Amino acid sequence: MIGPYASSRRRRFTRLDIALLTLLALAVAWFILRLYSGEAYRWNWRVIGRYMVRYDAAAGRWRANVLLNGLLTTIRLSLWSGILATLIGLVMGVVATRKRLIARLITRSYVEFARNTPPLVLVFLFYYFLGDQIIAVLGLEQAIMSLGPVQRQILTVIGAPPRQFPAFLSAVVTLALFEGAYLTEIVRAGIESVSRGQWEAAYALGLSPLDRYRFVILPQAWRVVLPATVGQFISIIKDSAIVAVISIPELTFQGLEVMAATYRTFEIWITIALLYFVLSSSCSWIAHALERRMAINR
Amino acid sequence: MSISSHHDAIITVSGISKTFPNGVRALDDVSVSIARQEVLVVIGPSGSGKSTFLRCLNGLETVDRGTIVVDGIPLDHDRSNRLEIRKEVGMVFQQFNLFPHMTVGENIDLAQRRVRGTSAADARTVSLELLAKVGLEERVDSYPARLSGGQQQRVAIARALALRPKVMLFDEATSALDPEMIGEVLDVMRALAAEGMTMVVVTHEMGFAREVGDRAVFIDEGRFVELASAQRLFDAPREDRTRAFLSKVL
Repeated sequence: MIGPYASSRRRRFTRLDIALLTLLALAVAWFILRLYSGEAYRWNWRVIGRYMVRYDAAAGRWRANVLLNGLLTTIRLSLWSGILATLIGLVMGVVATRKRLIARLITRSYVEFARNTPPLVLVFLFYYFLGDQIIAVLGLEQAIMSLGPVQRQILTVIGAPPRQFPAFLSAVVTLALFEGAYLTEIVRAGIESVSRGQWEAAYALGLSPLDRYRFVILPQAWRVVLPATVGQFISIIKDSAIVAVISIPELTFQGLEVMAATYRTFEIWITIALLYFVLSSSCSWIAHALERRMAINR
Repeated sequence: MSISSHHDAIITVSGISKTFPNGVRALDDVSVSIARQEVLVVIGPSGSGKSTFLRCLNGLETVDRGTIVVDGIPLDHDRSNRLEIRKEVGMVFQQFNLFPHMTVGENIDLAQRRVRGTSAADARTVSLELLAKVGLEERVDSYPARLSGGQQQRVAIARALALRPKVMLFDEATSALDPEMIGEVLDVMRALAAEGMTMVVVTHEMGFAREVGDRAVFIDEGRFVELASAQRLFDAPREDRTRAFLSKVL
């Protein structure tokens, strides 16, 4: 079915479009020219390469340098936060749809608190609370320090080096709690999109509450939840930049470091913006592919 | 004719009342006992409380007052009691409510495997038997969306039979169907009744109700206005309200 809107989507440029594009191109050209001309700015893109990889003369091979390491930390951070946020969202989203008042009260408070507080403030709050209190109480620091070399290596690969691990963990938890609130709403909406008749049929068949969710409700809610969840993952990647303020060596933090050392403002931030763009847009590409597949399987 | 002597009752309903949160009184002091192998048809205008009555019988709705006992098990707040009753009572809905993400076979397997703990192979054997019974054996691997309304409802009946229930509840099972598909569903219900299944049937199909029902009850404004043998209720209603209703729908 093609609606009037779809059929009016033109595929060719009009004269007005060409005029606008020309203006835009001129503006960009002027901007670049200004940057390159005279004393305004000296470009030096080689800095970027040097801070991405460096040659380790002692070992005789190339190693990832700060920027690339920052990118990897951002990926690790986003991945763990994403997984944890999904678990939080799943549990809280299910609880939010329960009849009991206390269940709705708890989830509502959580969602409203997380959504109506600046993430930056939350980062500080959780960092000092988690970092100084919870992690100390759990004795995590000592536990990590007493690990064997292999375990330390594993910890470094999947998370952060042992000494940075407590900070990394509180960053993961902070991000997860923040993004989990949005995922809670996504899961709740997904569950509520399943018709009442499905609940009743599952009930009439004698399924236990857990089985009702597992076999009947959640698989159907999934269709609504999954694309939105991938979208939320994109937010996690972008929002992860915020933990630079607690010195997690992720992409943005490393950018600040390299800038302090080299003053290559534009090269660095353009590179970092591109890296975030590649990371996020590959996620949204996956989201689109998933949506298409689900539409076909319907 | 004493179809429902108390000693062989499978469902005993005593003085149940229910008021919805919006103040609508759906059931008002309703009592009835349903005998084993009996078919009780429930008729009445829309909003009269007939669906609510049916939904109370397997605990889909809770009652404010009164008691319901199914096969000796009281339908109370005890979770395991409610589960036991749901195993013994199958329900068929107006909108079929098949699980759209599962194939026909998986729809029928599910409760057998999760509630009874039957093995996958044994469950499938039973599912195929039940599908054969409703004439849809060859659609075992289809998804519900690929079936017609009549076929979906027949699958829903097979699914409700999967736990070998002692009682079947039908909530306007043909109301959502195109006219040409009503017959195939009524045929399945007729066959079930002939096998001796205890059935409570809420329906607008008056011809079917008169033919298959042992007893019929006319509900209006949440009350049992008239309860009699189906033949008597349809042929010689005694209450004015029953007469008025039947004259409109027949």
